[in-house]
Amino acid sequence: MPPSASSSRRAGILPGRLTIRDLINALVSGFISGALYASMALGLTIIYGVIHVFNFGHGIVAVLGAYGAWLFLTSLGLGMIPSILISCVAMFFFGLLIYKATIHPLLQKPNWEFSTIIFLLGFGIFLENMLLQAFGPRVKSIPPFFEGAIEIAFVRINWHEVSLVLIVIAFVVALHFFLKKTWIGQAMRAVAQEMDGARVVGININRTFSLAFAVAIAATGFSGILLGTKYYMTPHIGWDWMVKGFVIVVFGGLGSATGAVYGAFILGIAEAMATLYLGALWVWPVWFFIFVIILLLRPQGIAGGRTL
Amino acid sequence: MTVEVQEIDSFYGDLQVLRKVSLRVDEGEVVALLGPNGHGKSTLLKAIAGLHPPTSGSVRYRGEDISRASNERIVQMGLAYIPEERHLFPYMTVMENLRLGAYNPRARGRIGENLGFVFALFPRLEERRDQLCSTLSGGESRMVAIGRGLMSDATFLMVDEPSIGLSPALKKAVFDSIRKINQGRGISILIVEQEIEHALRLASRIYMMKKGQILLERGAADIEKAEIEKAYF
Repeated sequence: MPPSASSSRRAGILPGRLTIRDLINALVSGFISGALYASMALGLTIIYGVIHVFNFGHGIVAVLGAYGAWLFLTSLGLGMIPSILISCVAMFFFGLLIYKATIHPLLQKPNWEFSTIIFLLGFGIFLENMLLQAFGPRVKSIPPFFEGAIEIAFVRINWHEVSLVLIVIAFVVALHFFLKKTWIGQAMRAVAQEMDGARVVGININRTFSLAFAVAIAATGFSGILLGTKYYMTPHIGWDWMVKGFVIVVFGGLGSATGAVYGAFILGIAEAMATLYLGALWVWPVWFFIFVIILLLRPQGIAGGRTL
Repeated sequence: MTVEVQEIDSFYGDLQVLRKVSLRVDEGEVVALLGPNGHGKSTLLKAIAGLHPPTSGSVRYRGEDISRASNERIVQMGLAYIPEERHLFPYMTVMENLRLGAYNPRARGRIGENLGFVFALFPRLEERRDQLCSTLSGGESRMVAIGRGLMSDATFLMVDEPSIGLSPALKKAVFDSIRKINQGRGISILIVEQEIEHALRLASRIYMMKKGQILLERGAADIEKAEIEKAYF
């Protein structure tokens, strides 16, 4: 039996030491990560696309959503679905509050491009430490939605992971429907593409901003819950997620939902391939390498300027 | 009186752009606003549309004060502004742009009817309904901009230089369509233009604006092109 990939730590391993099974496992794993990253990147894209602000507190918001669901599950003993729903609704109103209390005033003043970045970064640090105080440093995770696994050909996939992919697909479809078929969604697209035109047709820019922010925060919290079922969490992991989200949306094209989804899958699989061929230590260098390459070769990203 | 502007001032920062400007448009009229570029004509339209509110004076629509009203409220009331730059949504189709024109709640119930009118006016748009607006020609994007304004179910249209940059044939087509909008639907129109001859034929009254002030107001029949051109300089 050929040795498994995990025993190959050095770079420059001979491909012959890996089996087809290892490769397919890695592809499947990468695809699933990609799906989770896609759900995460969409919230970021909405805020950037509509408000043109980059949410540097993105990762910690995802952790907050996850911790919220965890809290309802464990302390209040609620079922999985009610916990998720309540967490998302709470995140929506949290987003509204944050927007009205802080982002909106900042946007009225000069240099809002910078002040919002600094604020959201600081807010992320603040929130991270609040979570540490409230929940402590021990790792948390959310239990999987389903037990058991399925074996197809070479690969063993958990039913939970299958459900994650299906949930993400449903989520992307729902978001697409929201943006293209509802008045408020179309208003968000209008503001994202041409704010002066949005004013001309009578759209209330401020209300559109606040709703976009709130929807994005709820979506990000939801993605955090999904991530929390697969990865162990401490508040600090929010920064990892934020950086990965950043690379994904730049790779996909800032402001493009389609680009973000494609970017998430490509980078998820690239990450899995890197882990397979190079080892886990090379994951971050590979992310940053891809980031630098896309900025050098095609800074507008895959979508190339097309926005929501 | 549909629209009554009384002695409004407007500033961009410290720069005064409108000085005690007064103007009116009566029900069902077409009024032309002439004058050299950069002298405040667009700013006046934006002041009425709620996009750049005046610092003093008043704007009234059918008697109601709209000087400080939001853009949302003003469109809802029936005033539509069609900017010179068009500001179409580039990554949306012609159809999506037109539908968004009906964003205000009053217009949403009348999309079918207004769309019919827009497509009758501009058959080319119906052909191109699923085309992205970033790929349209200059004349076509003008048509979409005007159509989008009509979709708001407006009773008062402010059109900013609709024929600029178009070929003579397209210029004529634009003016013909504006005439049809006014005569076919009774929509009052305030049009900013540099095409003096076309404007004189279309409008019943003209204003001329220079350096942020109204220089003269005349019936279109009572003034010659030559006189207007002289007043430009």
